[in-house]
Amino acid sequence: MPERVILSVGTKKGLFVAEASRNRGGFDLRGPFGAGAPVDATLIDRRGAPRIYASSRNMFFGMKILVSTNLGRNFRETGSAPAFSKEDGRTLINVWALEAGAAEGELLSGVEPAALFRSRDGGDSWEMDSAISNHRHTPHWQPGGGGLCLHTIVRSENRVHLGISTGGHYLSEDGGETFDAFNQGIAAAFLPDPYPEFGQCVHKIAIHPDNPERLYIQNHGGFPEHPGIGVLRSDDRGRSWRSIAEGLPSDFGLPILVHPHDPDTVYVVPLEPMTRTCPGGAPAIWRSQEGGGSWNRLDRGLPERESYFTVLRDAIDFDRLASPALYFGTTTGQLWMGRDGGEDWNCLFHSLPPIHCLKAAVV
Amino acid sequence: MRLSAALCSYAGCPSELALAAATVGSALRQLEPSHPRLYRSICQESGAVRPHVNLFLNSDRIDELNGMDTRLQSGDILTVLPAVSGGTPCRNG
Repeated sequence: MPERVILSVGTKKGLFVAEASRNRGGFDLRGPFGAGAPVDATLIDRRGAPRIYASSRNMFFGMKILVSTNLGRNFRETGSAPAFSKEDGRTLINVWALEAGAAEGELLSGVEPAALFRSRDGGDSWEMDSAISNHRHTPHWQPGGGGLCLHTIVRSENRVHLGISTGGHYLSEDGGETFDAFNQGIAAAFLPDPYPEFGQCVHKIAIHPDNPERLYIQNHGGFPEHPGIGVLRSDDRGRSWRSIAEGLPSDFGLPILVHPHDPDTVYVVPLEPMTRTCPGGAPAIWRSQEGGGSWNRLDRGLPERESYFTVLRDAIDFDRLASPALYFGTTTGQLWMGRDGGEDWNCLFHSLPPIHCLKAAVV
Repeated sequence: MRLSAALCSYAGCPSELALAAATVGSALRQLEPSHPRLYRSICQESGAVRPHVNLFLNSDRIDELNGMDTRLQSGDILTVLPAVSGGTPCRNG
């Protein structure tokens, strides 16, 4: 079968799957799956036969994990969703992250309240990872605007980086056996001590496999008294961080991601801090090809005015073709594709439900 | 036990179940091994009924009776319904 571009799109009203040929000339849309239930995490697992996973948060009846083994033509429920033990006392509110683990069939899930779960059987059973979920800092974490959630899981060889709102950046260098907070240089401007050991509202963490020493963070910025704290870079595997926000129209935003073929090329979506929408009503993706040294506005084809949407932390992704397209979904239900790494934009779908998350893959 | 169509669809279960139990809590606990998906759809990990699910004994909400300790008699109908609680805002903005 020829390669296909697959988009897994989690929305407020269920999951959609869009599919196109490699030239991306037209996308067919399937769904909604898990109709009516918000989807805040999805994964296209390309290890072996491709599988699409998605969380499904039914407000009445709780969480499910959905899985498709036929590129989103249909989905079934896995054997279970992450859940705390009765003895633990916590109650699962939402699943915020689904990522492939190190071993075959292993999945990792970040949840609300902030905890990490691991499945070794493709999502049929889950166990809580106590190293971070019962960390000595856990009782002190506070909920951010999206709740107290573990939303980002970034693996690199034996290292695991976690993003927690509000807990900050945690790093394991032993494959997840132990975690420590590494937040030097990451500010929490909403606390009396703006540089605490932990408690930062990290929004997203990004890495490129070719340069695992380098990481990028979109942190909670937008504070006039602490300019530039929102977009940060580390060159020592996340042990310390410095601002790279100079030149951006706002250091507030939710997503950050790295070009699939170039670890020096990083993308953010600056938002006006109070409304969390496009500055001036004119949306743009901003790209640095110098690791944050300077930034360029990418807006060709995007609306020039009267557009006040939000791009949520996981609602943006690349396909991995030679000249990759960048895709983002909006809280107003538009799904945009930017060819050539975001140089030229067109809207694939205008009126989906609010888009919470998006993953792209070539399968 | 009588279950709403939405719940039956979600949990993959029949619309009626016959149970022998002395209390509401005992009836729910019976579901955990026999109908685990249904149990998880009605109860949180702690065993508490999910906040947007209502249980009625005949025509009375169990919250207005004796909650999970409400006694059951032969022929009672325990109805499980999703609450009318739509319109909650998206929280991940």
